[in-house]
Parts: sequence; structure tokens; C-alpha cells
Amino acid sequence: MGTLFSRRAVLAGLTSGAALSTLPINHAFAALDDKPFYFLTPDEARFLAALCDTLIPEDDFPSASQAGVVDFIDLQLAGPYGKGQFIYMQPPFPSGTPEQGYQVSLIPATFIRQGIAALMEAETGFVDADTEARSSVLTRLSEDDFDLGDLPAKPLFDELWTLTNQGYFADPIYGGNEGYAGWEMVGFPGAHAYYLSFVDKHNVPYPQPPTGINHEPGGDGRIPSGLKPQEV
Amino acid sequence: MPDKTLPRTDVVIIGGGWTGLTAAYELAHEGQKCVVLERGDHRHDATSFGAPEEHDELKYALHHTHMMDVKTSTLTFRNNRSQRALPMRRLGSFLPGEGLGGAGIHWNGQIWRPLPSDLEMRSHYESRYGAQFIPENLNVQDWGVTYEELEPHLDFFEKICGAAGYAGNLNGETREGGNVFEGPRSDEYPNPPMKQPIRSTLFGEAAADMGLHPFPLPSANVTQKYENPYGAQLHPCTYCGFCERFGCGYFAKADPIICVYDRIKEHENFEIRFRSTVMRVEKSEDGQTATGVTYIDSDGLEVFQPADVVCMNAYALWNVHLMLVSGLGRPYDPQTGTGTVGRNYAYQTLAGVDVFFDEEIITNPFMGAGALGTVIDDYNGDNFDHSELGFVGGGYVACNQYHGRPISYQPTPEGTPPWGAEWKRAVRENYLHHAGIGVHGSSMATPDNFLDLDPTWTDSFGRPLLRMTFDFPDNDRRMSNYVMERAVEIARNMEHVRSYSSSNRAAEGSGYSIEPYQTTHNTGGAVIGTDPSTSVVNRYGQMWDHHNVFVFGACLFPQNLGYNPTGPLMGLAYWTLDHLKSDYLANPRPLMDA
Ligand SMILES: Cc1cc2nc3c(=O)[nH]c(=O)nc-3n(C[C@H](O)[C@H](O)[C@H](O)COP(=O)(O)OP(=O)(O)OC[C@H]3O[C@@H](n4cnc5c(N)ncnc54)[C@H](O)[C@@H]3O)c2cc1C
Ligand code: SF4
Repeated sequence: MGTLFSRRAVLAGLTSGAALSTLPINHAFAALDDKPFYFLTPDEARFLAALCDTLIPEDDFPSASQAGVVDFIDLQLAGPYGKGQFIYMQPPFPSGTPEQGYQVSLIPATFIRQGIAALMEAETGFVDADTEARSSVLTRLSEDDFDLGDLPAKPLFDELWTLTNQGYFADPIYGGNEGYAGWEMVGFPGAHAYYLSFVDKHNVPYPQPPTGINHEPGGDGRIPSGLKPQEV
Repeated sequence: MPDKTLPRTDVVIIGGGWTGLTAAYELAHEGQKCVVLERGDHRHDATSFGAPEEHDELKYALHHTHMMDVKTSTLTFRNNRSQRALPMRRLGSFLPGEGLGGAGIHWNGQIWRPLPSDLEMRSHYESRYGAQFIPENLNVQDWGVTYEELEPHLDFFEKICGAAGYAGNLNGETREGGNVFEGPRSDEYPNPPMKQPIRSTLFGEAAADMGLHPFPLPSANVTQKYENPYGAQLHPCTYCGFCERFGCGYFAKADPIICVYDRIKEHENFEIRFRSTVMRVEKSEDGQTATGVTYIDSDGLEVFQPADVVCMNAYALWNVHLMLVSGLGRPYDPQTGTGTVGRNYAYQTLAGVDVFFDEEIITNPFMGAGALGTVIDDYNGDNFDHSELGFVGGGYVACNQYHGRPISYQPTPEGTPPWGAEWKRAVRENYLHHAGIGVHGSSMATPDNFLDLDPTWTDSFGRPLLRMTFDFPDNDRRMSNYVMERAVEIARNMEHVRSYSSSNRAAEGSGYSIEPYQTTHNTGGAVIGTDPSTSVVNRYGQMWDHHNVFVFGACLFPQNLGYNPTGPLMGLAYWTLDHLKSDYLANPRPLMDA
């Protein structure tokens, strides 16, 4: 696997405008900053950051990689998901109709590793390209209009998009959703859920900032969508 | 030869979910030694489902930690017989259970009764619309048991769950504010209805304004402190929004562990063995009866458990699978139309409308519960005139508020790109201002939709997988479209609506897909009836071909209702247990002549 760079050094090395920004690159395990990724190589991590940030770019709220999504994906690929623990893997693997669902013959960690390699080979300038160019690559991938050799394009896109989305919105204990970026953005209060006396208070914004499973207090308590807390 | 043969027991029960634990409770109290075999692990609300750890969307809702282990066993699926069925490699369309409590742990808790006319569907339609009305290619059948017969049992299960609702028909007297279409109830719901959030309130107002009959969704999310007839203590629901796909650590969602298991686990006639997967039901030499079951125990040994009575409570699909791998009954052959095991597999037909409100409406979607919402039943069953419509069946229309779990709940208006900057803005702007209106429709059985065994793929024990052949019948596509259009009319009449869009899973030209979650309401395959050529069990739930085998669960439904199945299937369970206790045990024999 060559030299082991720290994950902070790897992602800070990004040059593309959208992925490198005024916001710091964050993840829940700040202590991991000096550690290498568990699964990803530095090149894979950089590629994924560019890809995830095309799917969830920065606006008033962080981009995917700023919210720790690359760390999330790294941990997922190293764990039971990546190892295919949630999939029936008995061969053979003939191809079927879309209605018959996912039929990839590789465990997700291998599928995604090979998928990234094929994409990097086909799209050498991806990491440094602008948002428009990266979006058009991902659109082709998502529409199955992309030759990846033996690998199916749309299932690869679906897997990467699912992971990115999960990383942005899952509880921060999984390494993404840093600072409750995703939860702050929509106004989801998190894991401590007891609404018996609130559910029939109609049209009243819920005033509590998000709290995750490990009780980390929420960010700045900002109420999303320009809502102002009223009397509650 | 098994590794081990155990002493005989009176009753062996395959599966520890709602039906299995209930059978054990009732039969143990009748003096029967019961052994429950459950393939999954022990778990308990008090120790396994506590917040905040339970409130983990990724682990439970998306990685399916409480559910069936699809890595070791699944089924294969195809839309029609000309295709090769392929394995369902990941859970998707439905989420069967595994472990103590079965799917009753992670259910929503919407608790319904069938309509009286649903149970006599063929006779009812023929007498109202004429003998030619039901399309020829539908296997519509009567259940062989009537609403009047089931009513005391439906009522009892509602009391086991501490159901929350408002009766619309109390002893024949119709009451506005409840479901005015329902069959007569002998008693009010044991608990008052749930509180309603803004979105379902707006839906109810719009429906009432149109002359429809909205009422609070009947719920097994309990609304006040309650003790059930078995002595279980339940507590008020907190509207935590981690309900379906999760266990309830608040003791508020009725489930088989707290409502039944805790009240029977110390009984001398009760025993449960975990990590014990039944391989097959064994038959006597003459084939007339079952002798017991063979299972793989937690040490991996093959064990024979002899029993006088075998209860099949493994969930609709896996009951049928066990019958097929055990050679119980006669397998259905779609070529000749003969045989019954696997015949009349049906599902649920879903459609819906997404409604986007202006900024004044703040829905707080995360304040949800599995059975929270407002519903109309005006277009379900035969509650509306079908004479000009060209289909049978119907569905309820509901505006629910289950949850706002942010990976799964990302409503965006039609035309929003699927990812990128615009998508991100749309998710942010609409999260607090959306309502879903669901159409939950019936599913008719056809000769072409069925269950049998797959020729290629096996489970980790080497048994052939179950093979499902299913697509939406044209009848159901038309029904779903019709009821969806009625839901659109309600959406249009709702206040504060900025935009809406509708979709029909059974739309013309789109095949049933095994991937997106729809419902865990798989029905049929071992149906109940009075004619052995079209049913696997007689009207008491007893197998025609093996009189000491009793069958439980939604596999009994001849065609699927427009309702969620657990109320109806538990009504049937108590009905079967009643006949087992009061008749069969004293004099074991076929309870009906074939
Ligand atoms: C997400 C979700 C939401 C739902 N919401 C609702 C709702 O709101 N309203 C409603 O009416 N219904 C709902 N349902 C359906 C409801 O959960 C089922 O109808 C009900 O649990 C069926 O009970 P059962 O006893 O037939 O089967 P299960 O509860 O599935 O129990 C079967 C048990 O048998 C075990 N088993 C299977 N095979 C074997 C074997 N070979 N050996 C040993 N053990 C075996 C399984 O592990 C399982 O524990 C929902 C289901 C899901 C998944
Ligand atoms: S919503 Fe209510 S019933 Fe459901 S899990 Fe939460 S507290 Fe329990």
C-alpha cells in the first residue's frame, strides 16, 4: 500500500475548488487526523472526496468531505458492510432485470475498490476537474452510460451515492455528519427523542439542537430554513 | 438419521413471533407441554432496545440488524415464469423478522380488522354485482370463516395490544369520528386514539370537507398506562420516531415479547430454544400426520423433536417454504392449476401522493410513531360502488407521520435533480414542510403468481430457496390508480399546499420490484378455505392432508386485504387455538370432511 499519509494530509492535498474550501475538513474522530485510513489508499480517498463533494457540494452547509463522509466510507468499507455481511453471496451471478435487484458478484469493499480504480483510469482528470465536468461523469455513471469493463456502472453509482448520503446524515458515531452538519441542515434533533407533549403543538419549530447517540451536544443550535423559534 | 432424538412433547411450535408465542401461551395454559423453536436469538425490550443506542438509523433501519439474516437464507424472485428467478441478495421490498418476537418487534403497530365482506369476497361480489363481475383470471375466494366468527378474537387481540382508536361501529351503532365502514365491534378500543400532528390534521379536515370519513389510524402504539389481559404493563408512546424497523425500549409499542412472552416464560409447560432452525416437518409412514420436526440446534447438531401437534408459525413465506421442503400438502403447479401449496401468493399494492406545504406549516416529521396518522376507508374493500369501475378490491388512504430519520426521509418536489447543489437545497427547504399520503391497497391472487422451490440456489443448510413469481395483476393496477386519483383530490383540497405529485408502484408498464421497501405483508401460499382443491388448510387452520399440523399467519389469506395483516391473522390465530383447545386436543382428527 505504499506510504501511509495521515488522512488530514491526504485530503488537505486536494486542489479542486469545490472540495477545498473555507471550511475545515472535519470528521468525528479528530484523534484520527494523524492516522492513515483503515481501508482507503490516499489516491482513493482523494478521488472519493472529489466524488462525494460533487454529490453533496458546499453551500451554507458543509460539503460531504467537510462533514467527514470520506472517513465514514473508509470505516464502512473496513467493516461488516464492506465485507458483504448483509448480502447473500452464493454464486452463480447471472444478470437479471432491474426489478430483480442487486446482483453484483463482489463484496462491496472489492466492488468499490475496483470501481474507483476503473473510474480513475477512465477519468484521469476527475479530481481536478470543475463541478460541471465531474457532474457530467457522475450523470453518465448513474445512467449506466459508462464502460467500466466487467463492472456494472449504475450499481456502482448507487452504492457510492448511498454511502455518501448515509455519511452525511448518519449518527456521528460512524465518522460522518461531523458537527451534525446533516442534521443541522434539515432540523433533525437526533437520537434523544421524546415528543409526547410536543407532537400536537402545530407549526411550532422544535427548539432543541441535535444530539447524537454519544450525547455530544449539538452545534450552534441554529434553526434551519430561516425558521425562528416561537414560544414553546 | 438425526444426531439426537429428544423426548416427545405435546406441541412443537416453529417460530417465536406474534403467532408462535401466542399459540404457546394459550396451549400451555391448556395443560399442553409446548416447545417453541426459534431460529434467532433471545432479546428483550428492556435490555436490547433502549434509547439512545436504539435510535440508530444506519444500524437498524438500513443495515437491518433486527431482521432476517439474508446472508444465510433468502428467496429467489422473478416477475413471470418466462424469466429465471434470481436471489434477493439484500433485503428490500419486505423485512422479515428473526429472533425472539419475530417481525412483531420492528412492526409499525397499525392494527386493523377485515371488513365482513372481505372474508366472503367471492360470494359478496357475486351477489352484489352478478356472477360475471369478478374477472376470470383472478382466484378470488371466500375465507370460509366469517367476520361474526372472528369478531371476539379480533377484539381480544386488540386488548392484548392495548390498541388505541375510536370505534366507528359499536354493536351496530355507527359513530362519526371512527371508521363508519367497519364491521360491528363488541367493544370500544381499550385506549383512546393518538394525538394528531399538523399534517394529518390538515388531511382529515380536507377529507371531511369533501364528505369523506376520516378517523385516527388504529394503533398498537399505546396511548396511556395499560395492563393487557395477560397482565403485561404498557406505557404511553413518546412519538419518538424510531418505531418501524426498531424495537421499542419505552414498552409502548405492543410486541410479542412484552405482551406475551414475559407472561408465559416462567410457565412449567413452556420451553423455548433459540438458534434452533427447523429443517423440515417429519411425516408418519402413512403420511396422514406429522411426527414432529427436525431442527439444527445451537451447537449445529441435527435434532429430532417428536410431538403430537405441530404448529407452523414461521411467517407466511417460511411456512410455505417448510411445507415444500417437507412434502406437506400438494405443491401448486401453474401449468395444470392443480395442487395448493404455493398457490395464491399475493402482496400489497401501494401508491401515494407527496404534498409540499408553504412555510407556515411546520410538520416536525421526527415526532412520529409507526401507527400515527389519519385515514379514510371510503375506498377500501367494497365500501364504494364498483359496478362501473372494472376492478375488485380497494385500499385505505392515510396521511401518516412515522418518522423524520434523515437518511430515509428526504422528500423533494417533482423535478428536483437526484443529487448535487439543487438537490441539497431542496432537501433542506422541504424537510419540515412535507406530507405523504399513502394508498394501501388490496392484492388479488392470480394463477400466475405463486411460490415454489428454486432449482439453483440454496440456503446455508443446503435446502433449495423459496422461489417467488409475482407481478401486479391488471386488476390491481387499475384499482391502485383509481384510489390514487381519489387521494390526489384530497391533496388538492388541503390547505397550505404549494405543490404535489403522485406515484403508483403498480403503474401500467412498471413491474413489481424486489428492491424498494413496500410492505412486509406477504400473503397466501397456504390458504384457508372449505374446499381442499383450492386451500391448504380447512376453516380451522388445520391442514387437510395432515390433521395434527396447524398453520398460522398471513399465508392463510386467500387474497390480500386492503389492510395490514396482523390484526386479521391474529384473529385467525385465536380462532384456530380456540378450536384446538375446545375440540381437537380431546379428540384428534380432521375437524372437517375433505
Ligand atoms: C417494518 C414492518 C412493519 C410492519 N408493520 C405492520 C403494521 O403496522 N401492521 C400490521 O398489521 N403488520 C405489520 N407488519 C407485519 C407484521 O410484523 C407481521 O404480520 C407479523 O409479525 C407476523 O407474525 P408471525 O408470527 O406470522 O411471523 P413473525 O413475526 O415473522 O415470526 C416468525 C418467526 O419464526 C422464525 N422462523 C422462521 N423460520 C424458522 C425456522 N425454520 N425454524 C425456526 N424458526 C423460524 C423467525 O425467526 C421469526 O422469529 C410489519 C412488518 C414489518 C417488517
Ligand atoms: S413511536 Fe412510540 S411506540 Fe413507537 S418506538 Fe417510539 S415510543 Fe415506542
